[in-house]
Amino acid sequence: MRTSIFVLSIIIFLLFSVIFISYAQEAPEVSERGKEVYEESCAHCHGVEGRGDGSAAKNLLPQPRDFTGGIYKIRSTASGELPTDKDLFDIISKGMPGSSMPEWESALSADDRWEVVSYIKTFYEGFKENESPPKEISLDGKIPYSEESVEIGKFFYTQFACFECHGNAGRGDGTSAPTLQDEWGFKSWPANLTENWNFRGGSSTEDIYKRFIGGIAGSAMPMFEDASFGLTIEEAQRYGQLENKVEMTDTEDEEFNTLDEKMGNAYDILDMMTEGLANEEQKQKHAEAMKIFQEKSWHITNYVKSLAPEKRPEPAIGKNALRSQYTVDTLPTIDDAAWGTLEASYFPLVGQIIVEPRQFNPTIDSVNVKSFYNDTEVAFLFIWDDRTNNTEEQENEDFGKTYEDAIAIQFPVKIPQDPTAPKPYFLWGGKKAVYLWQWKASAVNSVTELTAKGITNAEVQEVQGDIQAEGKYTDGQYRLWVKRALKTDDKKDLQIEPGVFVPIAFSVWDGANGDIDTKRVISSWYSFVLEPVPSSRRFIYPPIVALLSLGILVGLRGFVYRRNS
Amino acid sequence: MKTKMLICFALLIACGFGLFVFADDHEEEEMNKLVFSKETYKTMKVNNGGKISGVVKFEGEVPEKKKLAINKDPAVCGVVDKFDESLVVGENMALKNTIVYLMDITQGKDFDKDAKVELDQKECRFNPHVQIIPVGTALTVLNNDKATHNVHIFGTKKNGTSINKQQTRNRKRMKLAAAKGAEGPVEVKCDIHGWMKAWVAYVPHPYFAVTNEKGEFTLEDVPPGEYKLGYWHETCGNNNKEPVVVTVAAGGELKQDFTLKIKK
Repeated sequence: MRTSIFVLSIIIFLLFSVIFISYAQEAPEVSERGKEVYEESCAHCHGVEGRGDGSAAKNLLPQPRDFTGGIYKIRSTASGELPTDKDLFDIISKGMPGSSMPEWESALSADDRWEVVSYIKTFYEGFKENESPPKEISLDGKIPYSEESVEIGKFFYTQFACFECHGNAGRGDGTSAPTLQDEWGFKSWPANLTENWNFRGGSSTEDIYKRFIGGIAGSAMPMFEDASFGLTIEEAQRYGQLENKVEMTDTEDEEFNTLDEKMGNAYDILDMMTEGLANEEQKQKHAEAMKIFQEKSWHITNYVKSLAPEKRPEPAIGKNALRSQYTVDTLPTIDDAAWGTLEASYFPLVGQIIVEPRQFNPTIDSVNVKSFYNDTEVAFLFIWDDRTNNTEEQENEDFGKTYEDAIAIQFPVKIPQDPTAPKPYFLWGGKKAVYLWQWKASAVNSVTELTAKGITNAEVQEVQGDIQAEGKYTDGQYRLWVKRALKTDDKKDLQIEPGVFVPIAFSVWDGANGDIDTKRVISSWYSFVLEPVPSSRRFIYPPIVALLSLGILVGLRGFVYRRNS
Repeated sequence: MKTKMLICFALLIACGFGLFVFADDHEEEEMNKLVFSKETYKTMKVNNGGKISGVVKFEGEVPEKKKLAINKDPAVCGVVDKFDESLVVGENMALKNTIVYLMDITQGKDFDKDAKVELDQKECRFNPHVQIIPVGTALTVLNNDKATHNVHIFGTKKNGTSINKQQTRNRKRMKLAAAKGAEGPVEVKCDIHGWMKAWVAYVPHPYFAVTNEKGEFTLEDVPPGEYKLGYWHETCGNNNKEPVVVTVAAGGELKQDFTLKIKK
């Protein structure tokens, strides 16, 4: 009896084995090398089965791509299309700036990267079903960068409603920005167009153009079709002008209606093209209108390009250290044009991930700083981009808690003797104390002085010195102006002298990104110096020295002559 | 003997485990999936077909009506109060916006060619909230607002990739072709006005109905035969695993009601 059970279970087992094996063989042929590389290098984030659920995934935002859904953000193809192999290869090679996806160019050979491309395609059925490769976005008709093109682009940036999400100044602070989510329900912020080094798909003119035409799949960024289809650039501009008029004359009204009708007809043809119903004449008209749409798009691309510096600024260290400029006058206030004469120093920020709670997904890129000083005082202008102006704690059903925006500027209490001497611990000090100016968005005209001996060990100074401050928020950007005497009577304060390099560091809180307490973005130590006034004595001493030397030489010559004669 | 028993055990456990893995891979529960026959649907003239009708009701505590926060374009979007439509329960617990359909039908009538496949955007609300689209048909999206919208049709694992197209206030009408492979219910959203949400279901045959305010649905001209009757609701899920089997007689009328609960 028992033997028969044994035999039976062996039979059952074999049967199952056969089923499983035959099932397994149905699976498509996979690239062995691709699988190997994938599992070693990619699976930690993207998961062994490509579902974007690797062990490291939970802390990452943007989340690692789920390859089983066929949704790829960075494509050179239209919305609704899969990416090309080259798209996948490029993303693997170059990574995605501003996300956790690193570049693999330096770690994997090109062959291995191609193998990974074939392997990740096996995770989504749709790649197999595609007989013909997806259609690429045409890059025809590129318009070279020029001031004129930027100006036209600026108009279309508005007409195409880019500002709804990206804001009037392009800092990602549009009125729709706070509610944007990706298709998986995660918070997703529109790009800050003035910091194009953080663009996930690259910042070349072509990259920007492709993102604009094709959209960013899975995110709120749609593909664009012309907002004034069928109208020439001049007509579109005229249409925009008339549209915004409160009252139109009869002639203007007629003009507007003519343009509106022209546009309506063009859209009808576009719909017919979508349904494959257009005749030859309509196809011709469509092609002409598309050509103009491409022109408009290249102008927008040039405008977007113009919003950011040519490359990411160098951090404020070494020769780029923040140099406060001397002025004999009173120091400029926050809106003074004098600030426009200075180049800002760039202090990059990163998420604080040492102490719990941590910030793994920072939204603030950097603080930019300018400074002036005179014989008694120093003034700073701290500038940083934040997509939302949060002045209080708020509970939102869909987006969780948001907090107050803030910044803290950190100095050592005692300036190290020389550049190699140890500074206090960069995270708000340790054994060596730091001196802080803390500013909060709810009290824009005051800065609080703190002394800290650690990130969770800060105290408000009992005696608050005389520090003037003024903060403003406009178009996705904070500007904080602070003025203080160079010398104070308080021993816990920093005392500032011209020519002495002072360590400086920052903590910034974006309340909309859940920043509070230790959850924040931070910088390490950088330095600033009151640029010494070029002394007027340089016109006196060198000539005297020169004259003296000459005198000595002449004297020496005379002495030698005399001795010889 | 004991060893043999142990081996028996081990082998059976291995089989069980295999089955578990197998099942996990293939019957992964999917809230937003409909069941269709693998056969390509064939159209034919249906004479003396049967009719299936019924009422879909909700069971459980009806959540309080949630007013949507309008944080954008108040002049256009804030004129009329808007409410969350993910669970609309009317009088007598009638459940609106439930899709009721035949799962396994392979031949029958053609789609009503005159039926509108339109999604309206007015005062920053999508209307209707749930509708069906024949696979391969372009959706006509209307913009009756002096505001810019974007029509974002989500992608899901089994339903193909997503599509997202901007529609400025200048564009009153826009045809939106489905993304490749689109099938079954997918969410539609306007990201610019984050509260705007709707569903469209891409379907391969016309035996689909969406329940009205009274929770009513009707499927007409059903060729006589035995069918699996399915439902789907965005908050209450589907009955993909336990379809109701109905037998439709020539010219017959059949009643089938459903009671749905919130899917946890």
